[in-house]
Amino acid sequence: MEYIFAVLTFTGITVIGVLGSYLVTGLTGLFSFGQAAFFSVGAYTSAMLVKNLDVPFLLAVPAAMAVGLLAGFLVGYPTVRLRRDYISLVTFGFGEAIIALLNNSANLTGGAMGLSGIPQYTNFAIVWGSVAVCLALAVGYKHSKYGRQCLALRADELAAKAMGINVNRIKLVTFLFAAAMTSYAGVLYAFYTTYVEPGAFGWIVSAEWIIIVFVGGINSLTGSVFATLLLTGLPEMLRFASEWRIAVYCVIVLLIINYRPIGIFGEFELTLKWLRQLGKKGVKAS
Amino acid sequence: MSIQQLLNGVSLGSVYALIAVGFALVFNILKFSNFAHGGVMTLTAYIGLAAALFFSTWLSGLTLFAATLLSAALAGALVGIVLERMAFRRIRNNNSPVIYYFISSITMGILMENIVTIFASSTFYSYPRFFELTVVNIAHVNIALTDLLMLVFSSVALMILLWVLYRTRIGLAIRALSFDVNTANLMGMDSNRVVMATFIAAGILGGIAGVFLGINYTLYPQMGQLIVKGFIASVIGGLGSITGAMIGAVLLGVLEVTLIGAVGAGLAPVFVFIVMLVFLLVRPRGISGVIVQEKA
Amino acid sequence: MSRLEAKNLSKAFGGVQAIDDFSFSVGERQIVGIIGPNGAGKTTAFNLLTGVYPLDQGQVLLDDEQISGLPQYQITQKGLARTFQNIRLFKGLNVIENVMTAADPYSSYNLADVFLYSGRKRRRENEVRDMSRSFLTLVGLAGYEEEKPENLPYGLQRKLELARALASNPRVLLLDEPAAGLNPSEVQDFIRLIRTVHEKFALSVLVIEHRMEVIMTLCANIYVLNFGKLLASGTPSEIQNNSEVTTAYIGEEDEACLL
Repeated sequence: MEYIFAVLTFTGITVIGVLGSYLVTGLTGLFSFGQAAFFSVGAYTSAMLVKNLDVPFLLAVPAAMAVGLLAGFLVGYPTVRLRRDYISLVTFGFGEAIIALLNNSANLTGGAMGLSGIPQYTNFAIVWGSVAVCLALAVGYKHSKYGRQCLALRADELAAKAMGINVNRIKLVTFLFAAAMTSYAGVLYAFYTTYVEPGAFGWIVSAEWIIIVFVGGINSLTGSVFATLLLTGLPEMLRFASEWRIAVYCVIVLLIINYRPIGIFGEFELTLKWLRQLGKKGVKAS
Repeated sequence: MSIQQLLNGVSLGSVYALIAVGFALVFNILKFSNFAHGGVMTLTAYIGLAAALFFSTWLSGLTLFAATLLSAALAGALVGIVLERMAFRRIRNNNSPVIYYFISSITMGILMENIVTIFASSTFYSYPRFFELTVVNIAHVNIALTDLLMLVFSSVALMILLWVLYRTRIGLAIRALSFDVNTANLMGMDSNRVVMATFIAAGILGGIAGVFLGINYTLYPQMGQLIVKGFIASVIGGLGSITGAMIGAVLLGVLEVTLIGAVGAGLAPVFVFIVMLVFLLVRPRGISGVIVQEKA
Repeated sequence: MSRLEAKNLSKAFGGVQAIDDFSFSVGERQIVGIIGPNGAGKTTAFNLLTGVYPLDQGQVLLDDEQISGLPQYQITQKGLARTFQNIRLFKGLNVIENVMTAADPYSSYNLADVFLYSGRKRRRENEVRDMSRSFLTLVGLAGYEEEKPENLPYGLQRKLELARALASNPRVLLLDEPAAGLNPSEVQDFIRLIRTVHEKFALSVLVIEHRMEVIMTLCANIYVLNFGKLLASGTPSEIQNNSEVTTAYIGEEDEACLL
C-alpha cells in the first residue's frame, strides 16, 4: 500500500513536469529537450540552500523557482528567436550543459555521486495539492489570450505575426512559466526522495515528457494528466513487468502514433459542463 | 594545437561524419530528425560484435575486420528496412505533421536501446583485437591503427555515397524527393521505393558507424545517444546539405578533441554548447545549408 | 489626405527584381485595386507593406507615420491588417477563437489576472468573445462559432479570414485575391460584403484581384503592375481602355484580327 502511494507521489511530480512540456511543446509547438533540466535546477538549488546554507525550506522554494526563471530567461531569450529545428538542439545542449556543470562541481553539488541526506519535507498530499494548483494555472493560461496566441503561432507563425501577435514575447512568457513550474516540481522531488543526482534528468526524460503530451492528446490537459498516469504510474505499479516496462511503453506509444495520431483524448477536455451532460444522459437512460 | 591532436580530431570527425550523413540523408527526404538512427547504430554494433566473434574462428586481421564491417552494414540495411516499414510508413501515408515522425523515431530509438539492454546489458562486451599492430608511425606522428582504418573506411563509404547520389538514377530520385515528395510522386517516381532506398543507405552507414563506435568506445546499450553528435554536425554543416554534414562532423571532431585537451572531458560539453549557440546566432544556416524564405 | 502611402518600393531576390520603384497611395475611405499578370509582384508588394520582407528601397507611411522597417506585428498593431492568397487560418483553434486571436494582442490583462482568475480577465474575455461573435455575424458565419475552420467550405473560410482581419481593428485592410476560388454568385456576395465592411468601419481597402468584376465594381483607383513595375494607373474606365494593359494581360493583337 505504501508502495502505491510512493508511485503515485512520483507520478504526481511527473505530471507537473509534463504540464510544463504541454505548455511549451503542446500549446506553443517548441520542441524543448531541456525541460527536465529545470527539474535539476530546482532540485539542486533548493537542496543546496537548505543543506549547505541552512536556509529555511519555505524560503528555498521561491529561491529555487527564481533561479529556474533566470536559467529559463538565459536559455529562452535567444532560443525563441531561432528556427524550429534549432530550438531542439539549443535546449538539448542546455540540458547537457547543466548535467556537465553539476557533475563537475563536486564540492558544491556532490558531483556524480549526487546530493543525499536532504530532509523529507514533501509528501503525497503536498504533491497532489500542487498538481491541482498547477493544473488550475495551466487551465487558466490555456483559456486566455496567452493560450490562444500560443496555439495561433503554433499553427502558423507568419499569419500570427500578421494578426499583430508578438510571437517572440509569447514564446518567452510561456517558456518562463513552464521553467518556473518545472523547477518547483524539482523541489518537490528533491525533498521527497531525499537524494538527487546529476544524470537523472537528461534529454531522454524531456523527450519522454513530450511523447506523453502527444500520446495524451495534441491539445488536451486532461490527456496529459491521463497519459502520465498511464505511461509512468501504471508500469511502475505493475512491477512484475519491470524489465520489459520500457519496451511495453514504446509499443503503446507507437500504436497510438500510428493508429490514433491525435492522441488518446485529441482536443477533448474534462470540464464540469461535460460531466453535467454525462449526468443528464445517465438520468435519462435510467 | 598539435598535428597529433588534429589527426585525432579528424579521425574522430570521420566517424561523426558517418553518423551525421546517415542522419542527414533521412532529414533531407522526410524533413525530420531521425533519432532512431542511434538505435540502429547500437543494434548493429552488437550484431557486428557477434559477427566478429563468429568469424574469428576462420579469419583474422584485415579480413576479419572487413567481414565484421560487411556484416554490420548488412544488418544496418535490414534494420533500416524494418524501421521504415514499422515506424514511418503509416505516418507518411497519413500525411501526418512532422512531429509524429519525430515521436516515432525517438520511441523506436528508445525501444531498440531497451531491447539491447534486456539481452546484453549485464555483461561488458568489447570488440576483440583485430590487429597485432596497434600504432602506426607516419611522418613522425603516431596514429592508432584503428583510427587510421576508420578514417580510410569512412572516407571510402562517404565517397561511394556521393557517387550514388550524384551519378546514379536512384541517387537522382533521392535528391528529387528531397525537394518535394508529392511532386516526385506525381512525376511517376515510386516514393516508397526511394524512401526505402534512403533508409537502406542510412542503415548501411549506421552499421559501419556502429562498428567503429564499438571499437573506439566500449559497447554499451546507450551508445545510440551519440546520434546527437550527428545532429550537431548536421546543424553546423547546414541542415539540408550532405556535404555540409560531413564538413560539420569533421569540425565537430576537431573541436571536441581540442576542448577535451583544454578543459577536460567533463566540461567539454558545456563549451561545445556555447560554441554551438554562438554559431547558431551568428550563422544559423550553417556552413552550406539552405535557408528557405517563407512566402506569404 | 492619403491613409496609406508607398513611395518608390524596390525589392530584389537574388538576380530577380521583383518590385521596381513602385509607388501608390490609398486615400481615406477609398477602395484601391492592384492588378497585373501572374508573377507581376502583387503579393510581394503586400509582403513588403506588412513587413514580411525587408525593403531594399523605399518607404511605407500609414497616416503619415513611417511603418517600413518595423517588425510585422507592430505594423499590424499600427492599423494595417491583411488576408492571404492561400488561406492561412489557425488550425487547432475553432472559428470564433480564430477571430479572437486577432483581438488578443490588445487585451491588457496580465499573467496575474490569468492565475488569479480575476474579474478583469473574465470581463475582457467576454468582451472579446462578443465582439468576435458580431464580426462573424457580419460576414455571415453566425452559428459556426464552435466549428473547426478546416471543416468550413472554401467560401466561408475566406469570410472567416476577413472577420479575423477586422478583429485587429485596422485602419487599412489589405485583401490578397479574396475572391479566388469562389463561384460567380459567391463573388457577388463577397463584393457586397466588402462594400458593407468598407462603409461600416470607414476603412481604406487595398485589393489584389484577378477577377475583373471585383476590381471594376469596387475600386475608385487601379494600379497595374507588370514585371514589378507600374504599368498604368487610373480609374476603372481609363484602365479598361488602356491598350498597354491589354497587351500585358493578353498579348498583342495579331494583324489578322484587324479586319
